[in-house]
Amino acid sequence: MVAKIDLITREVIRGGLEYIAEEMGIILRNAAYSANIKERMDHSCSLFDGTGRMIAQAEHIPVHLGAMPLVVKRVMEHFEGEIFAGDSFIVNDPYLGGTHLPDITIITPVFYQETLVGFSVSRAHHNDIGGIAPGSMAGNATDIFQEGLRIPPIKFVSKGVINKDIMALIMTNSRTPQIRKGDLLAQLSANWTGEKRLVEIVKNKGVKTFFQAIDEILDYSERRFLSAIKNFPQKNSSAIDYLDGDGIRSKKIPLKIKLSLRKNHFHFDFTGTAAQVAGAVNCPFAVTLSAAYFVVRAITDPTIPANDGLYRHLTVTAPEGSLLNACPPAAVVGGNVETSQRIVDVLLRAFAKIVPERIPAASQGTMNNLIIGGLTSTNSPFTFYETIGGGSGGRPIKDGVDGIHTHMTNTMNTPIEEIEVRYPLIVEEYSLRENSGGKGQFRGGLGIVRKFKAKVPVIVSVLGERQKTAPWGLEGGLPGLKGRYYKVTLAGKEVTIDGKTTITLAAGESIVIETPGGGGWGNLAKRGQALIDSDHLDEKMA
Amino acid sequence: MITVNRLAVAIDIGGTFTDILIQDISTGEIINISKVATTTRAPEKAFLQYLERELPASRRKTIERLYHATTIATNAFLGQMHLTLPKTALITTKGFRDVLEIGRQRRSELYNLFFDRPKPIIPRRYRFEVSERLASTGEILTPLKLSDLHVIEKKIRDEKIESVAITLLHSYKSNVHEKKIKEFLEEQNPQLFISASFEVSPEHREFERTSTTVINALLMPFVSKYLRILSEAIAQLGIQVPLYIMQSNGGVGRSDVVQRIPVSIIESGPSAGVVAASYFAKSLDLDAVLSFDMGGTTAKAGTIVNKIISLTSEYEVGGEVHAGRITKGSGYPVRFPFIDLAEISSGGGSIAWIDAGGALQVGPISAGSEPGPVCYGQGGEEPTITDANLLLGRLNPKGLLNQTFKIYPGLAEKSLVEKICKPLGLGVTESAFGIIKIANNNMSKILRIVTVERGLDPRDFSLLAFGGAGPLHACALASALQIKTIFIPSTPGLFSAMGLLYTDAKHSFVKSIRLKNTDVDRALLEEAFLSLEEKGAALLKAEGFTEETIIHQRFIEARYQGQGFELQIPITSLSLADPKAIERITALFNTKHKSLYHYILENEPVEIVNIRSNSLGIIQKPTLKKIAVGTKTPPSEALLETRRVYFEADGGFVETPVYLRTKLLAGNRFTGPAVIEQYDSTTIIEPSWHVEVEKQGILKLTREWK
Repeated sequence: MVAKIDLITREVIRGGLEYIAEEMGIILRNAAYSANIKERMDHSCSLFDGTGRMIAQAEHIPVHLGAMPLVVKRVMEHFEGEIFAGDSFIVNDPYLGGTHLPDITIITPVFYQETLVGFSVSRAHHNDIGGIAPGSMAGNATDIFQEGLRIPPIKFVSKGVINKDIMALIMTNSRTPQIRKGDLLAQLSANWTGEKRLVEIVKNKGVKTFFQAIDEILDYSERRFLSAIKNFPQKNSSAIDYLDGDGIRSKKIPLKIKLSLRKNHFHFDFTGTAAQVAGAVNCPFAVTLSAAYFVVRAITDPTIPANDGLYRHLTVTAPEGSLLNACPPAAVVGGNVETSQRIVDVLLRAFAKIVPERIPAASQGTMNNLIIGGLTSTNSPFTFYETIGGGSGGRPIKDGVDGIHTHMTNTMNTPIEEIEVRYPLIVEEYSLRENSGGKGQFRGGLGIVRKFKAKVPVIVSVLGERQKTAPWGLEGGLPGLKGRYYKVTLAGKEVTIDGKTTITLAAGESIVIETPGGGGWGNLAKRGQALIDSDHLDEKMA
Repeated sequence: MITVNRLAVAIDIGGTFTDILIQDISTGEIINISKVATTTRAPEKAFLQYLERELPASRRKTIERLYHATTIATNAFLGQMHLTLPKTALITTKGFRDVLEIGRQRRSELYNLFFDRPKPIIPRRYRFEVSERLASTGEILTPLKLSDLHVIEKKIRDEKIESVAITLLHSYKSNVHEKKIKEFLEEQNPQLFISASFEVSPEHREFERTSTTVINALLMPFVSKYLRILSEAIAQLGIQVPLYIMQSNGGVGRSDVVQRIPVSIIESGPSAGVVAASYFAKSLDLDAVLSFDMGGTTAKAGTIVNKIISLTSEYEVGGEVHAGRITKGSGYPVRFPFIDLAEISSGGGSIAWIDAGGALQVGPISAGSEPGPVCYGQGGEEPTITDANLLLGRLNPKGLLNQTFKIYPGLAEKSLVEKICKPLGLGVTESAFGIIKIANNNMSKILRIVTVERGLDPRDFSLLAFGGAGPLHACALASALQIKTIFIPSTPGLFSAMGLLYTDAKHSFVKSIRLKNTDVDRALLEEAFLSLEEKGAALLKAEGFTEETIIHQRFIEARYQGQGFELQIPITSLSLADPKAIERITALFNTKHKSLYHYILENEPVEIVNIRSNSLGIIQKPTLKKIAVGTKTPPSEALLETRRVYFEADGGFVETPVYLRTKLLAGNRFTGPAVIEQYDSTTIIEPSWHVEVEKQGILKLTREWK
């Protein structure tokens, strides 16, 4: 038997790997061109070992991170025997481990001497990759071909040389080509930084120690996970929740879960969920897996280092051709951002029946995707993309949080002062949405109101949820207020628009996004007077 | 012959002790050191009394430089005892009062369903909106509505608000409305403290600017009053030079300037320690130093790799330690450069207590210096780390500070029995050692954050332990991380204050350029730099620096047009008279971009965003003095006594030699267990650690690890 490596060496390697992933994220942000990356940090970075196991990730965007192992596996299979030092691969195909087309993934193999020791991976949301609407987030797309350029796994950099033809192809297919180029180079820059740092670690500690440390780091996460679920009730549970609709038909779409915990193994079965739909809310399986990973981490012990070892005791099934394991050519752009949130909701609802003390009421359950595009006054095309936070659900020991991103995303807002410099838009309001939190012993967090006025004619796409079904309460808590989007015409009239649609605004018209509040937890009668008074003084709740 | 000694005075006021150093500028020699209890309610008192007592009026006149590090801002912010924050309000653009609370809309812990956002620093009820709006060009879209101001002003009065922050959208571009509001309030309510964002942090990105301005407003009543009183008192003592304050960036700033931007001195005290540590690393030619500074209230850790102090511009005040991640959001952002360090509320005065679940906890509340640990006999009732060290024999039961400061072991024991032993059913020794173990475990976390969590191996570092309490815990912490070498400087308790004498006077200026490299005119750039340098030189000359002791450093901040973050290019040695200067700057930018990002864009325009200039007044630094050389065996007069001290490795109390630091000679060697006492600190040598006294009087502790 090989002697274990000492604890400090193992921890130095583990901490080092996580720090590399964080550093990659900073490099990507600092070199990037688009506001979506440099201001909102809509990107994620991680490291894999030479066999394709995830070994470290930065604290970035859960829906990006959880779907990464599949894409690395696909690239390894696809390029077996053709992976060399200095190469980088690019892919965005949701059906080959991607999430949705705007998320482009770049994978760089890392060699030390002749040995493949790992991969550095970055995934970033590009604010335009073609398709029928600016921003490539059309709420009414009906197949993936309408959503933009689809890139299968291809070699983007070969032995240190960037393939200019591929760069040109991607730039040509985007409404904002220079920004694409800047962002893609920023991703490569992050990957190369990851490569350099990973080589430093391997060189420093030796290949053998490094490989052994990786095994032990993964085993450590597994041990921590097993210990976290040791006292978990060995029960089955099930739940159902709904999407508002797919943007084509306004019919609610059911998501069903049956979950079981047996012999320290979680099994999530989504059988009974709707078949894939015409609109853009279908999920490639990688996204479904991401949401499952998120829930498992959140309800056990979030401090366990996230890597391959953490997920050894989880299996997920979703029938092929269903909403949660869609087949081509289904449109998927909203699966990643919207349906993923509902998967979390339905899973948490099922877990609330087993471990109620660990589960909050429903959070806003959407990302409120907003894309505004058009031509500036000097006729250059622009696309602005952002997602908007809302209320988090009330918790068994405290209120939900007001105006924040929950569950599968954690992107930042774009500073108003950045928006108004870069785009022909004026932000007229950015505030907490009063009285939107679900009432209860512990109230849900408040949603947000964000109002934009267009200075030029623009096309607006929205992709949002929880406008027909409300974020639910738990243990007697009331639901949070539903979301609402509307436009304000030049005459000052408010016209409510659908949650998933594309509209136009004339110069001077405004779009207003009111995001959902979180559900309440527990009976309102039990709410402490001090909390009621404080909310009243702060004009948060009447 | 009369020699007039020119003096420099350094004062480091911590939560517990005030440290004072007096240096002869002409020789660089430290001629007086002192440590007095901090007078928490009026921190300046202890120091002023000392000056009056120790220096006659004629000597006070010879003081040429006066440097001060203070923890007043951070202690106020972290809610230490006796310091309550003033009632503060925010005035902002209509529709945007929640910008401060929503922040960047992200949570600091991704997977924790029970996450919290830091409590809004100003509650919604005190965030007032005023009707006005500027465009990003600075153009007025909606004029300022004066009637709104009257309503707000009345509310401020009714609510007895002491300090106000003003942050309006796009005020970094035009201060017209902020200025008007400021003037209006000054006129209506002269008592009010006002921080306007165009003065505090005139940079774009509204949340960070608001947060910085609000924190400034929160600190202003306190800091401003404190510095004003101090400056006046100093003048009354006949000292004619301005007071300089250590800032969070490791440089000093004049108190009248700092008074208006107290947000720049939040980490004043800890910064002085890191500056001292870096000087130490340079003097001893050490490439990897892990600094550990433990005083009465907090402990701080930082690294100095290749003798360079690392600065961070993404600092958050009151942020929680989150596994050393860069991703933040648990505290309040402040947009000023800070020395990068990790901090924990754990010091000699940290109180031990039992939580709701019946577990023993240490900190974060500190007994400070009033009342101080129980053993000080000043009315403290809660047992502290210092009390625990005393009951384990690690501190001299006859008194601290060379036994000039009497302490009462009986009181400490009584309190420990009441508060800890009885509820937990433990003995005195067990409880006392439990407190130390928990404190060490807490403190080892900050050492891990600055090393392990950044992928640095702590075993490659030497631990430099200082602060009054640092040397008490150094061996235990080094052992936890398997560090082989510890250095204890000659005056560990006054080491941070030394940092004040190792710094240069520094004035930084920045000017926004925002031009493509091809559009930049060399002559205009030179002119812009010269005007910044003139400002710097004028300030330095007013402070007594001569032409020969002034140097200027020049930097360009540039990026590819379209990027959001700039790279800083030092160009001090580059002549702008050179016709190829702009091309050379572009080349320097590309080289730096290539080394950091691994690529360059040949045909992409490079945007010169800012020029930055540092004007430095170079100060003569004290050198590390050599001490007398002895043999391997310490001289007999160095052995003060033996007493019973608790060591876990030895299974309990053992008879332990106690040495006097001042009597030890260079070349002396011995092995733990041992105690080394000196005026400003006590060093514990655990079993298996070897001590060697170095020629500059530094203690070098070593231990082998398998």
